[in-house]
Amino acid sequence: MVTTDIYKKEYDVIIVGGGATGAGTARDCALRGLSVLLVERNDYSTGATGRNHGLMHSGARYAVTDGESASECISENMILRRIARHCVEETDGLFITLPEDDLQYQQTFVEACQRAGIRADVIDPDEARRIEPAVNPELIGAVRVPDAAIDPFRLTVANLLDARLHGADTLNYHEVEGLVISQGHVEGVKLFNKLEGTHVEVRGRVVVNAAGIWGQRIAQQAGINISMFPARGALLIFGHRVNNMVINRCRKPANADILVPDDTVCVIGTTSDRIPIETVDDMRVTREEVDVLLKEGIKIAPSLATTRIIRAYAGVRPLVASDNDPSGRSISRGIVCLDHAKRDGLEGFITITGGKMMTYRLMGEIATNAVCAKLGNTAPCVTASQPLPGSEPDAPDQKDATKRYSFGQRAAIGRHGSLAARIEKDNDIDNALVCECEGVTVGEIKYAVHQLHVHNLVNLRRRTRVGMGTCQGKLCSCRAASLMGEFNGNVKAAQEDLAAFLDERWKGMRPVAWGDTLREAQLTSMIYEGLCGLDMAVNMEGKEDVQ
Amino acid sequence: MRMDTVIMGGGLSGLACGISLAKRGKRVTIVASGQSTMFFNGGSMELLGCVNDKTVENPLEAIASLPESHPYHKVGVDRIASIAERVKLLFSDSGIDMTGSANANHWRITPMGIAKPAWLTLNDHLRIDDLNQLPAKRLALMCIRGYFDQPNSMLAEGLRNLGFEVDMIEFTTDDITALRRSPSEMRATSLAKHLVSNNALQRIADQFNNLAENADMVLMPSVFGQSDSSDFQTLQARTNKPLRLVATLPPSVAGMRMMKQLRHYFKMLGGTYLMGDTALSGTFDGDRLTSITTAKLADMPLKADNFVLATGSFISRGLKADFERVYEPILGVDVDADADPEQWTRFGVLQPQAYFGYGVATDNQLRCLKQGKPIQNLRAIGSVLSGHDAVKMGDGTGVSLLTAIAAADQIRENK
Repeated sequence: MVTTDIYKKEYDVIIVGGGATGAGTARDCALRGLSVLLVERNDYSTGATGRNHGLMHSGARYAVTDGESASECISENMILRRIARHCVEETDGLFITLPEDDLQYQQTFVEACQRAGIRADVIDPDEARRIEPAVNPELIGAVRVPDAAIDPFRLTVANLLDARLHGADTLNYHEVEGLVISQGHVEGVKLFNKLEGTHVEVRGRVVVNAAGIWGQRIAQQAGINISMFPARGALLIFGHRVNNMVINRCRKPANADILVPDDTVCVIGTTSDRIPIETVDDMRVTREEVDVLLKEGIKIAPSLATTRIIRAYAGVRPLVASDNDPSGRSISRGIVCLDHAKRDGLEGFITITGGKMMTYRLMGEIATNAVCAKLGNTAPCVTASQPLPGSEPDAPDQKDATKRYSFGQRAAIGRHGSLAARIEKDNDIDNALVCECEGVTVGEIKYAVHQLHVHNLVNLRRRTRVGMGTCQGKLCSCRAASLMGEFNGNVKAAQEDLAAFLDERWKGMRPVAWGDTLREAQLTSMIYEGLCGLDMAVNMEGKEDVQ
Repeated sequence: MRMDTVIMGGGLSGLACGISLAKRGKRVTIVASGQSTMFFNGGSMELLGCVNDKTVENPLEAIASLPESHPYHKVGVDRIASIAERVKLLFSDSGIDMTGSANANHWRITPMGIAKPAWLTLNDHLRIDDLNQLPAKRLALMCIRGYFDQPNSMLAEGLRNLGFEVDMIEFTTDDITALRRSPSEMRATSLAKHLVSNNALQRIADQFNNLAENADMVLMPSVFGQSDSSDFQTLQARTNKPLRLVATLPPSVAGMRMMKQLRHYFKMLGGTYLMGDTALSGTFDGDRLTSITTAKLADMPLKADNFVLATGSFISRGLKADFERVYEPILGVDVDADADPEQWTRFGVLQPQAYFGYGVATDNQLRCLKQGKPIQNLRAIGSVLSGHDAVKMGDGTGVSLLTAIAAADQIRENK
């Protein structure tokens, strides 16, 4: 649908925020027959959704400290394995006890897991070393739990796609500037279209604030105070995948005690620090954070000491403040759904926050229930049983040895599930590889550009993993930029986009720019500046950060 | 094994230094990892392209104004012109045909169609001497179907901005179509390897003659000539229009070819090139380096009267950085680098980055310093030197070549 037609419509519900929670809420609302508009100020999954471990918690991590969150996690974990299997890699996880940890805690931990309904098998350290060779061999205890890895970008896009298949409209790069309020009712949102530079109002009967940590600002626009607790977490991505299973420390949750395998790489995290709400847009990682992550990471998997770090990144958990805990670790990760009619006397406005990426579906269900209650809709929630697009029961399996897939096709099926069938492969060029690390073809890029709301290379990276692999977009980003320049006929924009993409990568690399990461940076500079002269073609000054 | 000179590093500077010494009858061994930043070369050498954000027109003139710490001052500003001439001779002796002048930069065309100042450019590559007098009016930009390492749309736009009329023409031949079945074959080096037979070249020339009728020059990606320029010459002979190559994204066929030609010439002069080996450590006796060990000759230290460190920058592992410090990993000689890691880099990927200027510290004879004192028989050349910036100043290949020749001279003069 043309954007200007969207502006003219009146929706049952407008959802603010294109992270997992917003996307999950949009899907649920659409499946229950509501007319839905979702708006996102940047690209989808640019907030905390795209800035975490990619860990599908079993809930074990919260079992001791937060039983309610733990139960939610295991129940959602089992649901996601069914409805989002193309986004999930079933790795299982270990909770290891190191000589410096208290082995007594293991008992407490296992009992708490059992109370929450999480399978937790104590295994012999020898067995742990056998099934996960990357683990610190000095471990003195290990518990196996149903942790897994999940791709949050893919998960969010799948929810958005399904919402759209059921009639929802979605707009990225549309920032909410204010709410339309009339006589104590929220009746819509005021939007700024960042791509076109235009301002519009769109009408909706209910507005759902699913903007994560930025939800505090959205609420403020309606004169409502929600006291958020911005808990920042930094993470490091390593250049290849050293571990096959999620590895956690079996102790009270602390800094950098989870190592997650994600596709071709692995991620250690996180730190947890309360930060002022004004600084939530500054995602740059500090040297101190890197220091902590590295020191603790090496304890989990010693080979990390000699593995190249490809980048550092940080996200902000949208926790809701309740006490003066400086780290935020003891705050419940529980879900908070606020009906502002009851709480603040403002009708037609709901905030869904707290929780975790892991419980996005449940958050969507709770928010949708609240919306439906207002609109008198009685349709039941089906998101727990209906598979996401890409994960239908008959979806192809990339590991199916009886099928002859090319590397690119196999990778695309892994990323898009049954939707990979939509990728053009009419001619020899569609099958040509643009990104060798991740097996992204010309056809997949076309599909992403035409059907997955891709406006720039950073969007493309989130949809297809172009430039996410070991080489971090050294050559493929230029190939992709040139192709996008051809698709949309704007070469200058493609060059600026390429520079912005490289700059975004550099933000993540700079905090870890030593060793091989510094080499990679120098190589990138030699190619794009020395050889190509990109620095002479574009002027980056005064440019806003690409999101 | 005792040599006159052992050179650590077989890239552009190591080979230039080795050739210069071997030509005068010295027994030279080069220890080479086999990797080189020439794999990212665009078919040109640069002496000095940019100073204080200003494009340099006359490098010889501009060199005099560089800060004292720049390696060109250690070459000797008054000697630069004559050494630059000797570099041209060295290239032509090696069979590398380049054109250019040290007192007037010309323009090379990058894979993105940007004109960058250059000193020497391969004769088969597009070169512009004067932006107001283009070598052709209308270009046929021949794009190989399915080859993505030439960003065609950017290249065409860049050329148009320079004032050319450009027709972007996609073409393929049966040979290229066959290669395309395997996506990994669509890289410059594979194309260069396969597009060599007379028939394959004829089929390409036929395409050019059919499709580029309206152009007065045919431009195509630099994917020809693994060993020499004969494939290009065959293609040119069969194409009705003047033909020029334009640099691609890595790997650079032209860069690899130049390295092959220099290596060949060095060996012809009697030099020993230990390919795939790396220097690991050295043994010092007072202010002299007596021997080095290499990975493959662990039990047989290489002894020599003189040593040359030509191991390159971080990218080539000639310099290393860990969490806290920048160091030279083989001999532990002194480096010029900021002590505070926060100063190494800055946000803004296209901003000048301090680490590009880091390198080993030398005296005015290019001798490496160890704990502040010069090692009498150890010189550093090329990108491992501090005080220059290949990316922002456009002086990388120039520093490699000029310091190489200067060090060779100093080694001979010291005898």
